[in-house]
Amino acid sequence: MRQRSWRQTIYHLILWMVAIIFFLPIIWIVMAALKTKSDLLAVPVKYVFSPTLANFADLATRHDFFSSLRNSFLISASAVIVAIVVSFLAAYCFSRFKPRMTDFLMFILLSIRMVPAAAVVVPIFLMYTALGWKDTFWGVMLFYAMFSIPFSVWILKGFVDGVSPRYDETGLVNGGSRMHVMFRVVLPQVRPGLIAAFIFNLIFVWNEFLFNFIIGGKRTTMIPVSLVTGSLAQGGVDWTFVASLASVYLVPPVLAIYFFQKYLLVGMTFGTVRGEV
Amino acid sequence: MPVGRDALSAYRLNFFRSEGPAMRLNPAEAEIAAAGVKPQPGVGRRLRALRMRWIDNSRFFPLMLILPVLIFFFVWNIIPLFWMLGMSFYNYSLVTGSPPRFIGFGNFLDLYASISVWLSLSKTFVFVVGAVGIETLLGILLGFLFWGSTTLPGRRLALTLLFSPMILTPAATGTFFRLIYEPTFGVANDLTTRLFGARIDFLGDKAWALLSVLLVDIWMWTPFMMLITLAALGSVPKAELEAAEVDGLPWTKRIRYVVLPHAKFILMLGVLLRTIDSFKVMDLIYQLTRGGPGNTTEVIGVTLFRKAFEGFTMGWSAALAVITLLIAIAFTSIYLYILNLSRQRREA
Repeated sequence: MRQRSWRQTIYHLILWMVAIIFFLPIIWIVMAALKTKSDLLAVPVKYVFSPTLANFADLATRHDFFSSLRNSFLISASAVIVAIVVSFLAAYCFSRFKPRMTDFLMFILLSIRMVPAAAVVVPIFLMYTALGWKDTFWGVMLFYAMFSIPFSVWILKGFVDGVSPRYDETGLVNGGSRMHVMFRVVLPQVRPGLIAAFIFNLIFVWNEFLFNFIIGGKRTTMIPVSLVTGSLAQGGVDWTFVASLASVYLVPPVLAIYFFQKYLLVGMTFGTVRGEV
Repeated sequence: MPVGRDALSAYRLNFFRSEGPAMRLNPAEAEIAAAGVKPQPGVGRRLRALRMRWIDNSRFFPLMLILPVLIFFFVWNIIPLFWMLGMSFYNYSLVTGSPPRFIGFGNFLDLYASISVWLSLSKTFVFVVGAVGIETLLGILLGFLFWGSTTLPGRRLALTLLFSPMILTPAATGTFFRLIYEPTFGVANDLTTRLFGARIDFLGDKAWALLSVLLVDIWMWTPFMMLITLAALGSVPKAELEAAEVDGLPWTKRIRYVVLPHAKFILMLGVLLRTIDSFKVMDLIYQLTRGGPGNTTEVIGVTLFRKAFEGFTMGWSAALAVITLLIAIAFTSIYLYILNLSRQRREA
């Protein structure tokens, strides 16, 4: 018995070590954010140093930091909300009425998501410049809504399929309207799907770089773009700025997977693989 | 919301009205179905109800539901798609300022004859095979390692640490690794000097660049394959595993005859998703090396981006985009095919 618990402890230690090894690069960037500039650039590398919050204080004085933070929150939240409302209607329709082109449309929606972003960005860029939508809140926000729709429809259709149509029938027989059935009867039962779609779309939009880089501008810059432009700056990279911005950036996604871990699998596979880890 | 009485009466109503067994709900279900249904007195209400009925019975109702998605789809996908298709037949450069000139299949012929395109396709292939192969192997190993981790103290935190890499944007992880790979004060070089006494310019040296980039991708996505493996292992029925244990099957056979038949579909879906995603890779490499040094790390996504937004040859890039689009759609069809197979199996 005692030997068994010994082995168990070693096994657990190994698991924790694997987890920490994967997290090391992230720890390193957070450490870099806590170093002074001379500590960060020191050769040989300093593993022990006296941490300072000065970089974050510096970050707070830069006006582009707050504007990109605000843009990130505003654009991702509003895009995802629009996407989820629209996707729920479509998912309900696909699941209940099964229009003739359902399979085809679902296939197209999935392919949109599978297409390399670099392939789509050229026409989107030309369209946005032609229509004057570049660097406008609505232009960028609605693009991200479209960006979130395929995933949301896939995930929500899976969940609406899981709700028996008998609920709808009973609701209708009892004098509820379709709207009532959709929003008061079916919607509460697909809450896990809504949460998964919401959280993961939020993360995906929060993370998106390429399109924001191309169709965004000064007024719609989000954090990943500031990160990249900051780290590609001519005449030497301001590493303390980049490291502290990266540390701020990574807090919401990491918190999200801590609190919503059971949706991770659904979220990373378009809802095609169900289950928990 | 006053549920109780209404629900009960709804249930009774339903009970008397129902004809087939399909309509009969148990009380709990009826309560959910009838929640908030209230009798609607008053003319205004009745009119509204009438209008609702009209909407409900309209044969356009399903169309109205998908209309918003279709509009989004039309504006942000159909229009750009045809724009791109059209453009791929033109010689159109933003630099020269001359109007687009129709050249038929000229761009495609040019692509076919271009060495750099074939080179970047072959690099993409090496990248995809290398990344997906190693990620799958490592992920499966780690998945098996974490199979019995349900009693791990602080499991949720440990898994959060483990799954963090894949949830971060490549634009950010690229930044981390530029700091780590930095030739003078980067930590990777500190380690190599201590261990081998050699400094390596990981991202600037032609011999190392692709490998270094590959390593970042492996770091990011091995946890994903591990997640998939855990899900696949979770889909194996416990009873069959216990039966195999009672029968004393050696572990190789246990995996071959008990685990694999259940787990293989989820694993295949995972591998395919990874293949599609690593085929798409662009921002990670762009952030790490911008395709350089030379063009050693220039995969297809990076070529596309550089030709369009550094060379501004829009027609040519559109033609290349059409080709990648077709490849991506082919991958998607394979994915759906496997997905349908697995669903049929589950139903059977």
